[in-house]
Amino acid sequence: MKQTPFHRTPSSETNIGMNTFKTMAILTLVLAFLSATATKSVAADDALSFNQDIRPILSDFCYACHGPDANHREADLRLDIRDAAVEHGAIVPESPDESSLVERIMSDDPELAMPPHKGNNKRLSAEQKQKLAEWIRQGAVYQKHWSFEPVPQSVAFPDAGKGWARNEIDRFVARTLENKRLTPNAEVDRATWLRRVSFDLTGLPPSLESLDLFLADASLQAYEKAVDRLLESKAYGERMANMWLDVARYADTFGYQNDVAMEVWPWRDWVIGAFNANMPYDRFITEQIAGDMLPDASQNQRLATAFNRLHRQTNEGGSIPEEFRLMGIADRTTTTGTAFLGLTFECCQCHDHKFDPITTRDFYRLSAYFSDIDEFGLYSHFTFAQPTPATLLYEGEQRQQHEAALAAVKQEELRCADVVAAARKHWQQHRDALITELPEMREAVLHMPLDGEKDGVVGGATLCDGDNEIACDGAPEFGRTSTFSFSLWVKPATHQPRMLVLHQSVAAEDSGFRGLQLTIDDGHPEFSMIHFWPGNAVRIQSQKTIPVDQWTQVTVTHDGSGKAAGLALFINGSAAQVDIERDGLTRDCRHRQEWGDMNVGKVKLALGARFRDVGFRDGLVDDLHVFDVKLSGAEVAALYDSAGRSDAALSSDESIITDELAIEHQLLTADESVATARAKLNQVRVAEDNLVTNIRQIMVMKHFDDAPPTYILGRGEYTNKGEEVSAGTPEFLSTIPTDGRDRLALARWITHPDNPLTSRVIANRMWHLFFGRGIVVTLEDFGSQGSPPSHPELLDYLARSLIDDHWDLHALCRRIVLSATYRQTSTVEDADAYQRDPQNVWLSRGPRHRLSAEQLRDAALLASGLLVPTIGGPSVMPYQPEGLWEEAGTGKHYHQATGDGLYRRSMYTFWKRTAPPPSMLTFDATSRESCTPRRELTTTPLQALVFLNDPQYIEASRVLAGKHLSSHGYQLEARWDELFRRLISRSPTDQEREVVGRLYAEQLRYYQENEGQAAEFLKVGTQPIDDKINQADLAATAVVVQTIIAYDETIMLR
Amino acid sequence: MTDIIQRRQWLQRSGMGFGSLALMHMLQNEAAAASVPTGGLINPTHHTPKAKRVIYLFQAGGPSQLETWDYKPMLNKLQGTPLPDSVRQGQRLTGMSGNQAILPIAGSLFKFAKHGQNGTWVSELMPHMAAQVDRIALINSMYTEAINHDPAITFLQTGSQVSGRPSIGSWLHYGLGSDSENLPAFVVLITKGKGGQPLYSRLWGSGFLPARYQGVQFRSGKEPVLYLSNPPGTSRDSRRNMLDRLNDLHRLEQERIGDLELTNRIEQYEMAYRMQASVPEVANISDEPQSILDLYGPDATKPGTFASNCLLARRLAERGVRFIQLYHQGWDQHGNLPNAIKTQCRETDQPSAALLQDLADRGMLDDTLVIWGGEFGRTNYSQGTLTATNYGRDHHPRCFSMWMAGGGIRPGVRYGQTCEFGYNIAADGVHVRDFHATLMHLMGIDHERFTAKFQGLDARLTGVVPAEIIREIIT
Repeated sequence: MKQTPFHRTPSSETNIGMNTFKTMAILTLVLAFLSATATKSVAADDALSFNQDIRPILSDFCYACHGPDANHREADLRLDIRDAAVEHGAIVPESPDESSLVERIMSDDPELAMPPHKGNNKRLSAEQKQKLAEWIRQGAVYQKHWSFEPVPQSVAFPDAGKGWARNEIDRFVARTLENKRLTPNAEVDRATWLRRVSFDLTGLPPSLESLDLFLADASLQAYEKAVDRLLESKAYGERMANMWLDVARYADTFGYQNDVAMEVWPWRDWVIGAFNANMPYDRFITEQIAGDMLPDASQNQRLATAFNRLHRQTNEGGSIPEEFRLMGIADRTTTTGTAFLGLTFECCQCHDHKFDPITTRDFYRLSAYFSDIDEFGLYSHFTFAQPTPATLLYEGEQRQQHEAALAAVKQEELRCADVVAAARKHWQQHRDALITELPEMREAVLHMPLDGEKDGVVGGATLCDGDNEIACDGAPEFGRTSTFSFSLWVKPATHQPRMLVLHQSVAAEDSGFRGLQLTIDDGHPEFSMIHFWPGNAVRIQSQKTIPVDQWTQVTVTHDGSGKAAGLALFINGSAAQVDIERDGLTRDCRHRQEWGDMNVGKVKLALGARFRDVGFRDGLVDDLHVFDVKLSGAEVAALYDSAGRSDAALSSDESIITDELAIEHQLLTADESVATARAKLNQVRVAEDNLVTNIRQIMVMKHFDDAPPTYILGRGEYTNKGEEVSAGTPEFLSTIPTDGRDRLALARWITHPDNPLTSRVIANRMWHLFFGRGIVVTLEDFGSQGSPPSHPELLDYLARSLIDDHWDLHALCRRIVLSATYRQTSTVEDADAYQRDPQNVWLSRGPRHRLSAEQLRDAALLASGLLVPTIGGPSVMPYQPEGLWEEAGTGKHYHQATGDGLYRRSMYTFWKRTAPPPSMLTFDATSRESCTPRRELTTTPLQALVFLNDPQYIEASRVLAGKHLSSHGYQLEARWDELFRRLISRSPTDQEREVVGRLYAEQLRYYQENEGQAAEFLKVGTQPIDDKINQADLAATAVVVQTIIAYDETIMLR
Repeated sequence: MTDIIQRRQWLQRSGMGFGSLALMHMLQNEAAAASVPTGGLINPTHHTPKAKRVIYLFQAGGPSQLETWDYKPMLNKLQGTPLPDSVRQGQRLTGMSGNQAILPIAGSLFKFAKHGQNGTWVSELMPHMAAQVDRIALINSMYTEAINHDPAITFLQTGSQVSGRPSIGSWLHYGLGSDSENLPAFVVLITKGKGGQPLYSRLWGSGFLPARYQGVQFRSGKEPVLYLSNPPGTSRDSRRNMLDRLNDLHRLEQERIGDLELTNRIEQYEMAYRMQASVPEVANISDEPQSILDLYGPDATKPGTFASNCLLARRLAERGVRFIQLYHQGWDQHGNLPNAIKTQCRETDQPSAALLQDLADRGMLDDTLVIWGGEFGRTNYSQGTLTATNYGRDHHPRCFSMWMAGGGIRPGVRYGQTCEFGYNIAADGVHVRDFHATLMHLMGIDHERFTAKFQGLDARLTGVVPAEIIREIIT
């Protein structure tokens, strides 16, 4: 057998003789200590393994104070590194009696004893103490934690299990069984195996057809063929996706507080498709982490990155965007740690890991990979904008339509440019027809003199209090394709960040608002058009500031392009130099019906303040003009001039009307060819805008070069920014090369064949799917506090094969389900063996576990023929008791489906994080608030109530009963036969037949004696009832069906 | 554990055959003692418990301490003046009032008077509680770390702002097990139709503990527990018949494969059946005398009101339910506070007082811990415009008030003080984790020793930062 890291022989074994005396002394000490106890002792010649025997003790009892966390280290001693422990004198290899560690753990002196005998501390058992001493005697050999050791290049399988083993898995299992003096169970009958493998690979019981097909297949490849059929069925992808949804914390709502719907189901479709295409697992990871960064990334590859946007988000009023942005990034980081690496990073947000060599710095360096997007941190309160970055998801013809629409815009822009160029040429030659002085302005759609009590520029001015806005009634609502201009005089009282002057929106920035706004940001006039800030918006800012306590006229114009180049800012009549802050507006900046936004058509222009925002406090405003056209530079100058300001540099200086201004004015106001071209251009812009309005978007990761830097956050608090860090992988795994500092590099690092965790973690998770228990029980924790692997070599073998098979998950599944280990019966055949291994850790029996919440419901739906097998699409709302959402107080209503939506597979059930579907939660489904790879399976009375009273199960029962009646008439035996075969994949035993027959007779009598009761019972659900069928018979049969659905044999996979 | 040992001995005596097989199943289940419905993890408790059960009257949304329990006459004197920076000390505000042009100090519109032997100041909004003030320990110096509802209420109920941790009730169910054969150990009651800040199932969820420890919501109406009612066209007898046959099948199966999990499953079906009777029984208050209904006030007979839920809480407590969690929403008064808080107090004052009185009259207050409080307090300045008759208050995590009574609580004490501005804590601050530690202590649990493995760590309700039991309010 190949040497593996798990059974390394201590190198010091040959030195034992030299230390016999000391050893005897310490052993005497130990034995004296133990004399009163009956604890089994550690034989001195047993070579102890650090990973198996010692690390769990040190980790559990010592590392919290003497481990990796530098900030909480006592006595400057760390025991997780050999050199440090030896240098300190805690460990003197081969000399336990000279090791202070041994002295301290053996001590009865409360001052000296370790772990400290403080009230509640855990104490070492006598055996544990002895083990530590013996391990030091053997030389105190350390090992790297098993899961951080490389997966061996090849894993030889032991020569065991002759005559039983079907593949390599069995050889590892057989060797362990030999060592444990256990023997494997008999081979399970074919039907039970098929039921087992069908649920495991597809989440559904076998149909009667596939059961018969398999039972009749006498060929040598019968099992292989059955497995291939299952792997090729679409249900396979759904089953595997269901597992991944828990890991990816997939849900249909944002999760915090108001818990609004979050439309991410297309990502779920991607997952199903990926599994069904048997996408190699390394690609599966890479596309989810960095699909957007792959060369020529496809729509699907971008879609895959929604994985990192599925964490909870809030829109609670008053939330601070930066706090929640960083919480989202932390969630991406910990989810990556758990999902792919099986490591727990949560604690490292605040302090170095107590048990694993992960530092706070490692955490924030890892998090830096995920902060590379242009995001806000909150989602929108009054609109249904997808929090940016988001990508378009074309369906059907939409791509071609949109490309055509964009091409039309491009074409009209070029044509317009040609027309403008020609017109320009024309007017250059006809200079005399152009204006030479300031022109008449075109008519404003709204003019507010704002004559208040304060002195203004034009008459009086109005003082803003910063909290109450001034409505600009009569101003049109402008959108992305509107031409418009605003002009007003402002006299700020102070300079401060993003002080609001004028806006067309509902509420402040923390509401994730949509609309237009003119702000003064520390003195710089700034104008924004926003669909969702910052990823879908355009913002320009004047380079120049305007003064405090002086009047300035600020004017903004827009040409209908929705682009920075089409926006202009003017200060006192002259064009201002601007910086472009954002230039990525691709959707309308109005609230729209199509998106289900609130306040559609009621979003008004207002001045001076905004709900819960920084208003224009103590500032003065005067003489607002609103135009539905783009003013020419000459008009802006004229507008400024009209105020008659003495300091107006423009006034009476005719030379200010340059040729350029004159031509521009002419083109904007008087040239017919240009007007026609512009109208055409606007038409195609509006068409494109309307088209894109109806194209779905989804949140994704999109790399942003100017993303904010990442800092180490003291105690994880967003206000407590420490050292700036760049993206990087954890130091302790630095032997695996990283190439680059972006997410793609991270994905390459995670999927690097030398990464010791990735392949082991997924192999283990898959194993868990089939055996209900991982080789490492803690699927989520491969660190030193996780459970050690029961079959380390087997796990390495599986991991190595997966890598060598190019991460082919089908191959891994095949290997597992075709093994003799998987093909054992799960019943207890040997009482003694059972006693020695009740949990079936050593696999002398086949798997046995309860079906999941989804499998239970899906099985009932499939057996009754109600299951609608559509793959993918939006989530659905099956039966749920009324009023649950209202009770939660989010003001939302559960719109229960009326047709197919009642009968889709459970993985499509709408998942509301703050009120998940109750019948799923009752069966241990998770709330999907955070990455949860493992569900605890429990048995509770509430589960019984679901089987007995949930309309979903009652309806399925009566529908299946109806089928039995129509196909078998009064042949009762045939009914029960089919019932059992559909749900349990076998015929009933004689005793079961007797019980079921009795139940049927009793229920039949009940329904015959209680007229009308059958009809009532059969009304449950929405499926029609066949009036021709005897109602009492149907109801009694339905009760029998329901009983068998609630029967342990149906609920359990055995 | 003794239960298991006895059963083991019994099985050992019963010899070989099925008995020996079952024995081993039982051994297997020794570790999972929790599968025995009544067993808790902590048995015996770490010390003698002072309380056997908890009724927690959660006031969701953040009740203003300044109109209820924390008398600050200084604020009325400074009415309308800006909050001094020396008081605010740069503390963060929410985005709701943080951008406000001024933060005007707002005094309570409601009068306070001294009540009880200790002369505790209580607002005129709570005349009934004022009469009970000698029964409670009032804490004026609670503080928390969260400023938004969701993280704050999650923190109060699970000890962490981040979701995924077990709620207090789940911890207690896990640790102490159930005292009821017919009812869940952890029941949740929500006042119906309040709206306001939403409630999330995670607040009574079991987090990383198995789902069986999650709270079971009792709702008003004909189905108090989800899926409790038999479908139409069935009777209790016809369902009994169905369960009997199901039991027959399970017994046959057990003989065939000898899996003790089956015993557990049979037990759970039976408990479900019992719950179908016991839950409507507890929810049906028709046997309560008029004097009791009067005590709880006019809402007592309206299902789903706070009054009705308080009465129901007492009935559940009588029947051995370990942790009864009430929620009453509607305290989030950013604006229009005077009117809104009047309504809130009218709905909650009399029932809360009645619950204390009723428990005391029955001799149950001694071992029932009653808790009243929300997730944070409210600012001493007005959010939005302050007028002579109207104002609002924003979230304020730096101080708020709670009270506790019964089960081991020293009656008639006031603990902790806030500054004259009612903005900062002046003495004896009580962090959320201190409150949790105290609650655990009263239940006989050492919060430091009561842990569950999560992400490789020994997780506990009170978290990693040391927490202190508030000895001064304990008998």
